[in-house]
Amino acid sequence: MNTQALLSSALAGTVILECGDEHGEFAGVLLAGLGADVIRLEGKQGSNSRRLGPFTTPDHNPEHSLCFSRYNLGKKSISLEIEHPAVREPLARLAKQADVIIDSGEAAAVARRLEFYREMQRSNPRLIVCAITPFGLDGPYRDLKMTDLTHLALGGVMASCGYDPQADGAYDTPPIAPEMWQAYHIANEYAVIAITAALNFRELTGEGDCIDLSIHEAVSTCTEVAIPTYIYNGAVVRRQTGRHAAEGRTRPWLRRTRDGRYVKAFLFWGGRDVRVITEMLNEAGIEHDLESESYRELHRRSPSEAQAHFSAMIDKLVASLTAEEVFHRAQAKGLLWASVRYPEENIEDPHFQARGTFQTINHPELGRDLSYPVSVATDGNDRVTTVTRGAPRLGEHTQEILTRVGFSAAEIAALAARDAI
Amino acid sequence: MAQSESARPRPLQGVRVIDLTKIVAGPNATRMLATMGAEVIRVEWHDDRALDLLRGVRPLAPGGEADSVNRSGLFNNINAGKYGITLNMNLPQGRDLFKRLIADASVLCENYSPRQMERWELGYDVLSKINPGLIYLQISGMGKSGTYNAYLSVGPTAQALSGLTHMSGFPEPMPPAGWGYSYLDHSTGYYGAILVLAALLRRRRTGRGCYIDLSQTEAGIMLSGTATLEAQVTGKPTDRHGNRMQAAEWAPHGAYPCRGIDEWIAIAIQNDDQWAALATEIGAPDWTRETRLSSAAGRKANENDLDRLMAEATKEADRYDLMNRLQRRGIAAAAVQKADDRCERDPQLKARGYFVPLPHSEIGTWNIEGFPAKFGKVPVDVGGLPHRGAPMMGEDNDAIYRDLLGLTPEEIATLREEWVI
Repeated sequence: MNTQALLSSALAGTVILECGDEHGEFAGVLLAGLGADVIRLEGKQGSNSRRLGPFTTPDHNPEHSLCFSRYNLGKKSISLEIEHPAVREPLARLAKQADVIIDSGEAAAVARRLEFYREMQRSNPRLIVCAITPFGLDGPYRDLKMTDLTHLALGGVMASCGYDPQADGAYDTPPIAPEMWQAYHIANEYAVIAITAALNFRELTGEGDCIDLSIHEAVSTCTEVAIPTYIYNGAVVRRQTGRHAAEGRTRPWLRRTRDGRYVKAFLFWGGRDVRVITEMLNEAGIEHDLESESYRELHRRSPSEAQAHFSAMIDKLVASLTAEEVFHRAQAKGLLWASVRYPEENIEDPHFQARGTFQTINHPELGRDLSYPVSVATDGNDRVTTVTRGAPRLGEHTQEILTRVGFSAAEIAALAARDAI
Repeated sequence: MAQSESARPRPLQGVRVIDLTKIVAGPNATRMLATMGAEVIRVEWHDDRALDLLRGVRPLAPGGEADSVNRSGLFNNINAGKYGITLNMNLPQGRDLFKRLIADASVLCENYSPRQMERWELGYDVLSKINPGLIYLQISGMGKSGTYNAYLSVGPTAQALSGLTHMSGFPEPMPPAGWGYSYLDHSTGYYGAILVLAALLRRRRTGRGCYIDLSQTEAGIMLSGTATLEAQVTGKPTDRHGNRMQAAEWAPHGAYPCRGIDEWIAIAIQNDDQWAALATEIGAPDWTRETRLSSAAGRKANENDLDRLMAEATKEADRYDLMNRLQRRGIAAAAVQKADDRCERDPQLKARGYFVPLPHSEIGTWNIEGFPAKFGKVPVDVGGLPHRGAPMMGEDNDAIYRDLLGLTPEEIATLREEWVI
């Protein structure tokens, strides 16, 4: 484990309590990577994400959820029924020593707990509270029920993602929600920006704050050209297969390779692209007419027909090579192409191994390690963020943390006897 | 000591960011820093090789000169809140001025190709001698360290390589739908902002600057969720699942057609009670009473039929009316909103003040997408210190070169004549 990472000192000594559900778990992973001591408060049944798959074992044991282990990497767990009257005192002591509380879930529940957090802020004015809810804590949609799918729908991501329409312009396939909880990813990245900004503010003022983050707004900010296209030109972009949604139809980027995979091979249509593709065709021994007078004549007469012909030549080139061959050969010639990889194919890639993109975490139930994606940046040599532990078992740190805030063994036993922890 | 509202500093008060970024990923990072109160100075040049392509990207604000580089709506949206100067880095005089800017800066962000700064002899080794406290964020497609450091990338390249393209769309034989925009330009910007905000906290504690080598593709790998883990457990390559939920037995779970042209509603049924409520709301057709659909496992097992039947049931409904009716029954349902819907028909975005009108010196006042969180005390403003949209090319030359570098009007005029600024 790399505990000397450059930015692990950024939040060293910063204690973060995390309540709520899967809406807000990713933020804690990122903050733990920056050195924070992130404590996951779970009810006795454990977080929702412990019941979400995939699982490492067929019995769906809540200790074996990969959803939980991915989104709770680097945290500690305290099992504590947050709404139980007996935990008010333990919570108060935890909050008094905490720097940040992250809560997430449906707004009504979070708002109810927020009253308690505000009370805690009176005794600990440096406390920063971040509420991550579907729509924020006010507004007409506040209490709508949402999931990642419906967020990607309402927030505009799905409208830009999917497949080409038919020749008549009508769609026969639905808009697509890209997989893997991307709405929550976006919202949690913003939450970390907001929290680290508030920590900078606290350095200047000594004051904490309350942050009210809306997942819907976070997703809405993340659709690139869609909103400006409407605001400035009154136009709506239309989804297309494997490439940018646009007002009009553009040429395909995805091409099939010899090994049945795909590459993303797009062009800027400059003379350099033509020259480079011609070289690649020659090197692959593929017959073509791109250097012929007839092709030059076609280009003069009908650039769009020439482009279509050129594109067909690229299809031929790509179809003669594996996806990885296309990727490396194209990049060697300065083309911005890539193979469409399965995400796990990056684990063994020497580039990502050299950069420490992944970290192995032991899974005793499997009797082996799994490689987790943990890093987005290096300091030139090593990754800048840290991974101090895998995800915790439910309540793994209850004793340790309650002892740290002054509870005796007898008091802890009494809380357990009341079913509070 | 608590301070009055008006006296409160912004979180990044006193932080000066020299912004050598282009397109979206880098500028999005510095946009976040500007929102948090940093003095962000975009350094640009206007010959064809150096010009930020985004300045010419559609949509353009209507009217004006055809060759103006100040009218892109996307550029305005991504570069709000920043100052703008011109500087010809290809000239020794330009690089000298750049070093003078760096001497008093807190942060440098750039996303040129990874070796460009060294070609200018402005690598971190040089700049950190001028300013040891400098935080230098370098953003590139693959990352500067590692074996792909000469490879080139834009958002779609990184999305393909990271696995995100593959994990969007229907399974084979359909191709990946991928993302209909450069999602990773957004995400990389968020990670860039997070890393700088953390590095600033570290510097407040240690006084030390640092170099950060951020990889856009690694950001994509970070967002691959549980896929890399599951593939390691099962030994099977990651598949695509359309709009279906794999983490739980939630079905129906998808986008279904509604009345109108390309109008859809996303619905996520999470339990038996919601299923019963959905059946009632769509008129309890006979198929909803089939035994095979009475359990979550049964609905999941019969998802092909279920999706076909759902599509029949929703196709005459108004998407917002159905959304409201389902929501009243506690069902996660949301219209698939396009940009016009979000701008014109989303009461939540309107109530929360999501769009922020900001003046631009050439194209007038336009709505800019806001920051998706409200703060109690921390002053944040997407319009940044100048409280305006994006800067025109070189808009702040006079003020910046005079106030920051102490140049006289005559010296500034000479630099202009010599094509240095």
